[in-house]
Order: sequence, then structure tokens, then C-alpha cells
Amino acid sequence: MNKAYPVALAILVIFLAAFPCIGPEVYYLSFMFSVFMYVILASSWNFIGGYGGYLSFGHAAFFGIGAFATAKLATMFQLPPMLTMLASIPAGGIAALIALIVGYPCLKIRGPYFSVVTLCFAFVVDLAVKNIEFLGGAEGLWLKFMDIPEKTSRTIMYEVMLLLMVVTLAVSWFLGRSRFGTGLTAIRSDEEVAETMAIPTAKLKIQAFVLSAFFPGVAGGLFAYYLGYIHADAVFSINISILIVLMAMFGGGGTWLGPIIGAVILTVVNEGLSTFAQAEIARIIYGALFIVVTIFMPNGIMDFFRKKGGKT
Amino acid sequence: MKENRIKDFSMFLITAVLCGLMLMTPAAGFGAGKTIVIGGSLPLTGAYAETGQWIEKGMRFWADEINTKGGLLGRPVEFKIYDDQSDVGKAVTFAEKVITVDKADLLFGGYPGTAARAVMPVAEKHKYVYVSMGGHMKSFLQGYTYSFGAPPLMGEWWYEGFFQWLATVPAEKRPQKAAVYTINNPVGLSLIDSIDRWTKKLNIKIVINEKYNAPLADATALIVKAKQSQCDILFANGFFPDGVTMMKAAKALDYNPKAIVQGIGSVVPAWVKELGKDGDYVFSGTVLSGQLKYPGNDKLNAYVKKTYNLNEYPLYFGFGYAWMQTLEQAVTGAKTLEQTKIRDWLKKNEVNTIAGSLTFDERGLPAPINFGTQLINGKVELISPKNIQTREPVYPKPAWEK
Amino acid sequence: MDAVLIIQSLISGIMMGMVYALLGVGFSLTWGVMHVIHISHAAFGLIGAYLSYSLLQYCGVDPVVSAAVSVPLLFITACGLYQLLIRPITRAQNIVMASMILTFGLAIILENIMALIWKADPRVLTPTYSSGALIAGPFYFQYPHLVGFGLSVLGITAIYLFLKKTYTGMAVRAAWQQPEAAQLYGVNLYRISMITFALAVSTAGAGGISLALLNSFEPHSHNLWLIYLFLVVIVGGVGNVIGTALAGLIIGVITGLSMAFLPFQWVNLVTFGLLMIFLIFRPHGLIKQEGM
Repeated sequence: MNKAYPVALAILVIFLAAFPCIGPEVYYLSFMFSVFMYVILASSWNFIGGYGGYLSFGHAAFFGIGAFATAKLATMFQLPPMLTMLASIPAGGIAALIALIVGYPCLKIRGPYFSVVTLCFAFVVDLAVKNIEFLGGAEGLWLKFMDIPEKTSRTIMYEVMLLLMVVTLAVSWFLGRSRFGTGLTAIRSDEEVAETMAIPTAKLKIQAFVLSAFFPGVAGGLFAYYLGYIHADAVFSINISILIVLMAMFGGGGTWLGPIIGAVILTVVNEGLSTFAQAEIARIIYGALFIVVTIFMPNGIMDFFRKKGGKT
Repeated sequence: MKENRIKDFSMFLITAVLCGLMLMTPAAGFGAGKTIVIGGSLPLTGAYAETGQWIEKGMRFWADEINTKGGLLGRPVEFKIYDDQSDVGKAVTFAEKVITVDKADLLFGGYPGTAARAVMPVAEKHKYVYVSMGGHMKSFLQGYTYSFGAPPLMGEWWYEGFFQWLATVPAEKRPQKAAVYTINNPVGLSLIDSIDRWTKKLNIKIVINEKYNAPLADATALIVKAKQSQCDILFANGFFPDGVTMMKAAKALDYNPKAIVQGIGSVVPAWVKELGKDGDYVFSGTVLSGQLKYPGNDKLNAYVKKTYNLNEYPLYFGFGYAWMQTLEQAVTGAKTLEQTKIRDWLKKNEVNTIAGSLTFDERGLPAPINFGTQLINGKVELISPKNIQTREPVYPKPAWEK
Repeated sequence: MDAVLIIQSLISGIMMGMVYALLGVGFSLTWGVMHVIHISHAAFGLIGAYLSYSLLQYCGVDPVVSAAVSVPLLFITACGLYQLLIRPITRAQNIVMASMILTFGLAIILENIMALIWKADPRVLTPTYSSGALIAGPFYFQYPHLVGFGLSVLGITAIYLFLKKTYTGMAVRAAWQQPEAAQLYGVNLYRISMITFALAVSTAGAGGISLALLNSFEPHSHNLWLIYLFLVVIVGGVGNVIGTALAGLIIGVITGLSMAFLPFQWVNLVTFGLLMIFLIFRPHGLIKQEGM
């Protein structure tokens, strides 16, 4: 383990935190905000999907729960804007709680069957929100915006999302190096063997699942606040669930860096293409990217560069 | 080693295709600083691609027209259109990009209603005039001052025209029992508004009032229920796919109410083109029509006839054009590109669009506009109000042709 | 609650479920035999639908007849695609993952190629019988449902017989149950995989045509279809042909009954909720034993 690594990371974070000081346009703050958001989503999905090998296809559910819980808390208690942002933390808690309840029976199911159960779960939550007025309803919810200059409010959102990303990545880092993480990896390679090695598989899985639901929940709350108006279609979309999985796997699941790389590359490329190319052709190039990368690096980008670097 | 050859070959092929595509991509460059840049995002791919592309065509038609006339304030106009992939979050980010990075002079309106709902506060915060269809009544009650529905797509008003006509039908010939099926989203929910008001007034009993969530894979049970309850008017408050599923089931199950009223699925050209005779006699509403005598409509009709071989311009083509007309007149009237002045001008003055003369209230809305429509022989006919009627409606609806 | 509504709703539910099964059976096969999760499977179904749409529109060919054209066409295309895209990734450590990412990209490409060729406008497949029905007493058997159902039974039976009775089919099964042993006996795994993949894609085409008879479609519709077929395949048990057919029936029954008994608003929610519960209690799908 290279000593320079953490130092370089710390410098990078400081640079990112100082980025608003150079006075970038609001769009760049918003764009970075969405990059951070996807890094958070992909990295926290990685806890259960990457390390544990349980591919959740319904992670947008937790993101959406966080978004709607925040909006609901804000409207119910008439929260001022700043407190609304803080409300995303209990909202993340709600997402984690729901993950605990759902995870208990679902995590007994393995392989593709687990993926489909989580997929169904995401639909159930989406439809419940649309059908039950108390949970949000099909009209969607509006949030009050901050009564300060736009640039300041977007800077605050940017910094808060950056902070959340740093926390998520720190957790991910320690998880990868702890006994907890080792246990999860053992589950991924062979759950029966892991059990015979006295690893409390059920407990570990639940913990990882709850943890992987909490951060998307908080991020969802911030996203709701960023949009100002949320609708179930915008936050529970199956596309988000799939995108999260692909980002993590694209970079290399089960590694710390993989989801970060995947999320950054895919978000930047997608945004860049929409800017430079005709709509359909932009999408075709985006699709081709997945094919090219998979054929060149069938085991994810991380694995490819590790091998290139000489380390096995 | 055969394996590697295949791999190399596929890599080569993919790279070649990619390079080809890159070359085909039109270069995105801006002309001299003199052009007026109008920016925003539309759903050009994904779930709402069809509508988004029609809006784009309408806008581009306007741009070509104004550029041949010498431009806006004497400067040529140019669009900066991003594809938001039918994603609300992207619509917001692109609105910010257009405003803060591209420093567009003007903002154009997006689609669907949920995207408009999310972009309206962005426009408000950045003090940019946002002329769009809005996101139904609720979005105009949020206190925004820079948003204008010119004209809006207002679900709450959508069936006004139809009901005004129905009120002229003698009471004994009116339908007695209504089946109301509504898609559970902002459009559907806002459509219920006028049904509630008018059925009370006209003494029509709502026997079935149900919502459904998209996708509607099968409508058999819906139609059987309506048929069994002997509902003689069917409100299908939905989009194209669910509307088609319902029509097909109604025909197959030989359900013949006196009238079928459909939400916003029957207004797209595909309805007539794909359903043919089975799509006939459906009632709906509109805010725009090529058959209205407002100036400009003939020109648009002639253009779509020539370019797309359609008899009348599609609703969303008209929307794209009408929003641009409003923006154009506001800029010309205010003689500036300063957003606040454009807004103030719009609040005080009248604009003349293909949807008629519009003046805006505090909410940014014109007086309710709506025309009742019916599809007769594959053509959208205006049935109400009386003074613009192009044809006497066919009522009760003839039985299905087998 | 009256019987006519329940039975009518069940009839159309079951027929619809079977159409999903036809769309899903190939997906199940590629997954079972090759461990390839073929995300663009439904997009190929959509291509089938568009092809028969064009053939009907411009040449007046009935969709059932045009299936005879588009299905072989898809078979050949799929063989090529297998060699070009799928074969290079068979050496990945985790082929499930690699194939998912790759075919996701392929699905995006196909969707947008379709959008370029056929435009984004929604389409409806309307042969002359498209909204007629066979009337039996108080019950209506809608022709599009019947045709879809017929194609589905035909397609699934064909796949079943192919696997059970033909030499190639048996090789496919062998390759899947005992890959090493099969290779020792001279089974060419690549050839077998190619045939399986191509066969799967062709059934997707037939399934797409059947589904297009029921609902309108647009270039992005495959995303929705993918969800249906995922459900059918998982409920039936991955790689299980009979299971997939049964799953189609079950999903049809659930939808049919909930349409009859529940407010429509709750139908989708209840369907997904019940499927979730089903999987919790039967975590391997209907039929656990892999093979058929």
C-alpha cells in the first residue's frame, strides 16, 4: 500500500471542495453534483452488489424513498430550506429501515432471483407512492427553494453532496479493508463455504444491505431538494436502478475504485455526447461504449489496468 | 489464435462504425456573436421522443421563417437544443447549462408536464422567461412570475369544449351513466377536474371512476365492467398506448357507448394513421387547430402537407411554433433581450398566436381556451364552440364496423 | 362479483401471459445454456414487430406470415452477432456481468437505430382481424389474443421438441449440464452456443410480433417488455422451457384475477407484490431442477 495514495486523495478532495471558489458557472456545480450523486449511488450499491455479490436491481427504490421522505418531512413540518436538507438524513434512515425489513426475507434468495425480487420491490414502492396520497401521490411534490442567490444555494448543495460522497467513499474504503468486507467477499465467492468458516453470513448481508440503502436515501433527499419538484417517475425510474448496477460493474464491482470510475466515466460521456451529437447518434455511441469496453476489458476497467500494471 | 482474430475483427468493425458516426455528427458551432441563441432541452430520445421531436420541428419552422424575414431584433436566431432523454433531472441540468454556460438569450419550453414543472422554478430563480405548456394548473399556482403558458396544455380545461357541446344536446338524448378510467399521473388527474364539474351539472351519473397505472397491458376487464354497468359514455383519460389498448378492447368486445372521450392520446397524428377507422368518432379537446381562422394556420398547414404529408399540423408542432411566436412578439415588443422587461411586457400586452390573441394574468395564464374536437373520417373536426364548428358531431357514435 | 367478468378477464390474462412466455423462453435459454443475460432480447422482439409492421403496411403481408420471413432473418443476424460480440466475452471471469453490460449497450444501439429507421412515432399492428373476436356464449376470444396465444404455444412447443428430440438440441442440453464432458464427446461448444443464441433471438422475434398484436409499440418499448420477460423467466426458473410457459400462465392468472377483483389502480402493485412474495417462498422459481 503506497503511502502517497491517501495524501493524493486528500488533496483531490480539497481541490474539489475549493472548486466553487474559482467561480464556475452554476451548471458546472450542478453537473458535478450529479456526478457525485452517481458516485454515491454506485459505491453504496457496491457494498452489497460488488463485495457481497448480491446484485440489487432495485436500488432506485431507496433513492426514491429518500427523496419522497425528505419532501414529505419538509411539507409536513413546514421546514425552512436549510432544515429540509438536514431532513435528508432521517430520510436516509427511513430508507435504511425499509431495507432492513425488506432485506430480511429477500437476502435469503440468491443469484438472479434476488435481482428480480429487488426489481419487483422497486416497482411496488413506486406504485405505492403513486397510489397513496400520503406517501406523495401521482401529482408529485413541490419543495420551497432557498431565498438566496442561485449560485450560493447551488454551491451549498455541491458542498453537501461532496461531503456525503466523501463519507460514503470512506465507509466503502474501510469496508473493503475490514473483516466485514472480507466476510462479504467470502459470501460472494461461495456462501456455503463462508458459512462453514463460521462467518455470520445472514447478519453480514443484512448489515451491508442496510448500509447500501442509507446513502442513496440521503442522496435522494438532496436530489429532491435540488430538483425542487419531484415526481415518482423521476426518482423511481428503472433506468436509474440499471444505471447504478452498470456503473459499478463497468468500472469493476467489488473494488473500491471501480464504481467511482464507472460512475464518473458514464456520467461525463453521456453528458458530453448530448452536447456534441445528434440525439439518436449520441445514444448509439453511448451504447457502443459499453460494447467496446466489455470486449476489451471483460472483467471491468479496474481488472484491466491492474493486469496492465503488472500486479495480478 | 482464431479467438483473437475474431476479437480483433470485431474491434476493428466497431471502431470503424464509431468513427463513421462521429463524422456524421454535425459540428456544434455557433456563428458570430450577433445571433440570438435560444436554448433548452427536449425529450428527443426515450419515452417522450415522439412529442419532443414534433415540438422541435415546430420551433425550427418558426426559426427558418423569422430568419428569412431578417431575424429577431434584426439578429438571426439559432437554437441550442439538448436531448434530455426524457429524464426530468437532465431537463433541469440542461436548463441551467443553457442559462449559465451557453448564456442563451432566450429559453424555450420543454415537455412533458413533469419536466416543465421542474424547469419552471429554475427559470424563476435565474429570472428567465419560460414560455411553455406548463405542468397543468398546479404548476401555475406556485407563484412563479417568469412562466407563461402560451398557450398551455391544461388538463383542467381539456374537455370544456366537449361538455359545452354536450350541454346543447337535449337532456333525454344525453348519456346517463359514465365510466371514467384515468391514468394515474399529473395529466390524467387534471383531466378529471372538468368531468367532475360538468357531469354534476348535466346530471350524468359517474358509475365507474377508476384510475390505472401505466402500462396498461390489457383493457378487457375495464371494458367488460363498463359494458356490464351499461355505461353509455366512456372517458378514457390517458395517453396513446393505453388509449389504443382500450379502443381495441372496446371494439373486440363490441362495446358501443354513445360517446367515447379520449384524453391526449388521440391528438397525435399516429392515432389516425395507425388506428384508421377504428379511431374514428372519438371526442377530445384542443387548444390549437389548423382549422381555426387565426393568421398563420394556413401557412403551417401548407408546410406540414408538403413536408410530412399531413392534412393538418399536429398539436405539438403547433405548440412549438406558438411558444416561439409568443417569445418573438414579447422580445419585439419589449425591444430588448432583458428578461425582466420581456416578462413585464408579456404581463401587460397581448400576443397574437396561432391559438388566437392571448393576454396573461398573474399566474402567467391566458383566459381558458378550449375547443371540443371529434375525429370524423380520420380528420379532426372542431365541434364546439358553435362559431368555429367545422362539422356537426356524429352522435351517438355508430356501432363498430365489423 | 360476477362470473362473466372473472372468466373473461382470466381468458385475456392467460393469453397475454403466454405471449410473455414466448418472448421470455429464449431469454431463459441463453441464460441457462450460455450464462448470458441478454438485455437486448426484447429489443430483438421489437425488431420483429417493426419488420412485420412494415411488411403489413407496404406489402400487405399478414403478421403471422411475415413471422416466417423475420424469424429466419433474425436467426441469421443473431448468428453473426454471436460471432462478433458474444463469443469474444465468453472468456470473462464473470460472463453474466460482462454479457449484461455488453447487451445493455446493444439494446441502446438497437433502440436508436429503430428510432432512426421507423421514427419515434408509436405504431400499432393492425391486420384485418386486429380487433375482432370469436364469440362463445357470453365470452369473447379476441383474435389478436388468440393469434398471439397460438404463436406462443407453437413457438414454445417447437423449442421444447428441439431440445428433447433433435441431436443438436440434445447437444445443447448436454453442453449446459456437463460442459466438459460434452466437449469430450466432440460437442462444439461455440457452435452450440451460437445456435442457442440465434434460436433465442428468433423466438424473441415471434414473441415481439405477438405482443405487437396486443399493444402499441415505440422504439423504447423494449424496456417495458424486458420487465415482463424477466418476470416470466424468473418465476419459471432459469433455463426451464416448461417452467417459462407455466410462469406465463401464472402471471396471466394473477393479472386476470386482480383485474376482476381489485380496483385497477392496485393491479400492477398487487401483481409485483405477489411475485415478490412468490419468490420469497419459492426462491428457485416454479421448477427447481434445471434442464428442461
